[in-house]
Amino acid sequence: MRDTAPPWARPLAALAVGAFFFVPLYVGVINTFKSPDQIRTDPIGAPHPFTLRNLSTLLTRPDNLYWASVTNSILVTGLSVMVLTVLSATLGHYLARSPSRWGRGLMLLLLCGLMIPPQVILAPVTYVLRAVGLMGTLPGLVLFNVGYYVPFGVFVFTGFMRSVPRDLEEAAAIDGATRGQIFWRIVFPLLRPATASVLIFLGVWIWNDFIDPLIILGPSQGTTITTGIFRSVGVWRTDYGTIFSLMFMGTIPVLVFYLFLQKHFVKGLTGGATKG
Amino acid sequence: MVSDVATRPRAPRAAGRTRHRRSRGVWPRVWHFLSFGAPGVLIYVCFVLVPIAVSFGYSLTNYNPFNPPTRFVGLRNYQLMLQDDAFLTSLRITTILTAIVVIVPNVLGLGIAVLLDRRGWLYNALRGVFFTPMVLSSVVISVIWTRMLQDDGPVNQVLRALGVQDPPGWLSDPDIALYSLATVLCWQMLGFCVVIYLAGLSGVPKELMEAAAIDGAGPVRRFWRVTWPMLAPALTVNTVVLLISAFKIFDHVQVMTQGGPGTGSTATIAFLAIQTAFVDNHQGYASAEAVAMLVVIAALTAVSLAVLRRREIDQ
Repeated sequence: MRDTAPPWARPLAALAVGAFFFVPLYVGVINTFKSPDQIRTDPIGAPHPFTLRNLSTLLTRPDNLYWASVTNSILVTGLSVMVLTVLSATLGHYLARSPSRWGRGLMLLLLCGLMIPPQVILAPVTYVLRAVGLMGTLPGLVLFNVGYYVPFGVFVFTGFMRSVPRDLEEAAAIDGATRGQIFWRIVFPLLRPATASVLIFLGVWIWNDFIDPLIILGPSQGTTITTGIFRSVGVWRTDYGTIFSLMFMGTIPVLVFYLFLQKHFVKGLTGGATKG
Repeated sequence: MVSDVATRPRAPRAAGRTRHRRSRGVWPRVWHFLSFGAPGVLIYVCFVLVPIAVSFGYSLTNYNPFNPPTRFVGLRNYQLMLQDDAFLTSLRITTILTAIVVIVPNVLGLGIAVLLDRRGWLYNALRGVFFTPMVLSSVVISVIWTRMLQDDGPVNQVLRALGVQDPPGWLSDPDIALYSLATVLCWQMLGFCVVIYLAGLSGVPKELMEAAAIDGAGPVRRFWRVTWPMLAPALTVNTVVLLISAFKIFDHVQVMTQGGPGTGSTATIAFLAIQTAFVDNHQGYASAEAVAMLVVIAALTAVSLAVLRRREIDQ
């Protein structure tokens, strides 16, 4: 950007780049409102005629594809995120307040989990789940999510715990409060920004997870939104009406969630990036 | 330790006091761990550490759930792997894909962040646009892009309208499909890079830029001498995140190409490991592939972090 460039150059360039980038998003949304024939022949044009038929067909399917998928996704995401918040907040607090060699070793062990791809552990995870009889069930998937994502939660909570003054906890201890009371009544409410980060990131990630529900829930045991979309592509490769409306309806919840919490989302993402 | 505490209460508030308050014996600390630490650690151990150990163990066997008995075969799986075309190909294409995905979104993301580094509704709206793919599922992104890139899709419709007689088969030509896949991942990750670079740019002090301008530095010189060194932490974060996301790419392959077209032209290492384990049921061999993948990803992360961190300090 030269100082000599005309003042309209930057907004125009930004708009052009943004519009180009936007094309796939436009294709994703616009095709929801077209007839399946038009999606096939003219995927990029405006709807002609505009139709809600795809959505109404999806919502009233006899096999309940949408409602079953969305229920499973909400249950798995909600339960995983709730358990993860509680466990990673308490574990994060324990680690932040145990600066011994044992605590540091434990922390290091957990941080290693941040970069392990699920593909490396999924096969043995199925043995573990089969051994406890939870293979192919929602609780099994929730348990795996908790184990797999707890390092991220701990990472966020311990980082934030440093800003919570220890004196507060010691004062409460002198007043006779138990450790549980101190944590849940005093510390946890102070951790709200960290809790928000954990809820937002893990909520979006778990909602969008694909390989984990695909393998753990298996082919016969119901679907989440993502595996539902995948199976629709496999079974009815040309049934674009179902595929695009399912993607639209499956993304709306997470998109609304994101729009409301956009500031938090960006703040959580950039917190570590700028300080390094 | 008890006597230690007993002799101390009168001492002035010294550094040692807070440290010793907690050590009233070993049981409170064990109880602290059991109530606060253990539940999370236990689930983590059961679903991450034990599976890694099991993977490593099975990689030394010929385990196949449908073809017993299972025997210990030592390092034979690893020896086979080094002569296995499917594995070596997957390693090669994963490397190409990772190289593209580490470089392209980093470069474009920096350019776009510089372009968007202004206040106003237009720039806020555009930031939202670039960031949207970050909250979309890879499956959704893959399905949309599949429709975009199919032989009769919008991309080729536009090319035909522009007079290209025989537009390429973006997903049906074995020589091109890998690059189509890389393009999709670049598009998906671009927003992340933009956000991280924007945050970095907002940390560059205005006074510094003004001082450089007064000293006669032009905009290009100001960027490379003032702005770019201050973006070092952003570059580190972007590079490591891109590296990990590209190296373990699976969802896009599964949805868009199923490893094809042809034999394994897009079968990345994560895709191959899942295929070997759950489709071919060669779980012993698949475990060896998984262990190899883990080793490579750990080494890549460690090396790039070390290099980039040192670079941050040097500047």
